[in-house]
Amino acid sequence: MDYQLINKYLLGETSESEVRELFNWIEEAPENRKEFIACKKVWAFTARGNESEDKIWRLLFAPRLKRHKLIRLSFQLAQYAAILFLVFGSGFAFQYFGWGFNKEKLVYQKSTSITVPLGQMTNVELPDGTKVMLNSGSSITYDGSFALGKRQVSLNGEAYFDVAKDREHPFVVQTFLLNFEVLGTSFNIEAYAEDITINTTLIEGSLGVKDKSQNRILLLVPGENAQYDALTSKISVTKVNTEIYTSWKEGLITFRNEKLKDIARKIERWYNVKIIINNQKLGEQAYFGTILKNKPIDQILEVLRLTSSLKYRMITKTDVPTLIYWD
Amino acid sequence: MEAGPFHLDTYFLQHFQEGNESSFEEVFKTYYNRIVGFCQQFIGDKDQAQGVAQEAFVKLWLNRQKVETVNGIHSFLYTAAKTDSLNYLRHQKVIGKYRDKQLHLKEEELNREILESFDFDQLEFMELEKMIIRSINELPEKCRMVFELSRIEGKKNCEIAAQLNITVKSVEANMTRALKTLRVKLAEYLPLILVQLIMKNF
Repeated sequence: MDYQLINKYLLGETSESEVRELFNWIEEAPENRKEFIACKKVWAFTARGNESEDKIWRLLFAPRLKRHKLIRLSFQLAQYAAILFLVFGSGFAFQYFGWGFNKEKLVYQKSTSITVPLGQMTNVELPDGTKVMLNSGSSITYDGSFALGKRQVSLNGEAYFDVAKDREHPFVVQTFLLNFEVLGTSFNIEAYAEDITINTTLIEGSLGVKDKSQNRILLLVPGENAQYDALTSKISVTKVNTEIYTSWKEGLITFRNEKLKDIARKIERWYNVKIIINNQKLGEQAYFGTILKNKPIDQILEVLRLTSSLKYRMITKTDVPTLIYWD
Repeated sequence: MEAGPFHLDTYFLQHFQEGNESSFEEVFKTYYNRIVGFCQQFIGDKDQAQGVAQEAFVKLWLNRQKVETVNGIHSFLYTAAKTDSLNYLRHQKVIGKYRDKQLHLKEEELNREILESFDFDQLEFMELEKMIIRSINELPEKCRMVFELSRIEGKKNCEIAAQLNITVKSVEANMTRALKTLRVKLAEYLPLILVQLIMKNF
């Protein structure tokens, strides 16, 4: 019984002829085979990968869990706080594309599709000069006719568009439920197919929203936020203060169906405040939304009050964290 | 070698089932490399093994409410890893690993057979894990050190030799001895005929 050979094989250090020798021995007698199998099993249970669990957790896993959480909860009719943009989820793609930020300038191609893995963002420039920032787990697709003037892209996920002005050629973003026709505009659409609500906010320019039969449903002007509920097929438009939203790409935190009490904990950490939610049911309600991390706390509270009727009381004292009550 | 898994407080399972992320994170960090190592034994390709391992954790997350005990967690993970590894093997075309194609087929067939024979039914598996830990701890000191440096820390034989100030041959001998010893001690938990074992001369 040559344990050394078995050992060597299990370590992956055998040459091909040694492997052949091993397998010849395995085939000689059933006890040999069983012996080998037993060794292999011991090996399998004592084997260890040597990856940094921390890195894999942070970059690949934690974001995924949030997405999964979203699927589970998306069919509850939770209260939405549309602070900036809303999200619908896509079928998440388990794709591995490598690490790091990507800044790509694209040239004309037959059919182009850009997919961003979870936990990353990508800046892309389309052939007409439109700049797109794609968020985690998103993809856009367009074909050769784009460069010829038919400015049409399909979006699955979340992207911020800074569309190059071209009055002759409308820029159209297709999502699975609605089409957005853009006329020289900056706006954000979050369109992950899992959710039941689509939300978009217009910062600059004008944005037309059409259904799949190309009927225009509405036209947004800057400062307006449109929320489309897929269950009821109703759209509601509200006016929002866009000044708060213009520095979109810096320090953004998005809540995807998170309980208010969890959101409160996060805010407590960033701002060194203490938040008390008197009503336990309120704490359990789930919110969608994105807030800017580097705005003063009172602005954040104002936004939450305006968009989701979250009344607050703020008590500032010296030497202790500011106290905030939500009810 | 580390003892049992994570911080076992009374509420751990409850939090885990509820989807508490830090509970899940703890599970992830405890088991990830073990599952990767396990898969790599059968899949070979390190990246693919990682992919399969990650899928197992995703499945665990999705089915977290169905896990009834803390031990059920690693049972689930290994079962998922087994299933996905088998699927991977089934769909892989035979690449030119060896010049002798037959040899590669034999190897794959054996790997598949071994994978299929695993039954991570909770009780048996828990016992096996405990036995492995205990057996490794019972190895003679140098033997244990060599084994752990090789298996747990992934060091090469020459590195171990340098670290422990022994010859490479000594490292190899210790590894062989460890394998034999573990193989004997764990025989009870591996599908083997005990009688044969008594007759062996170690």
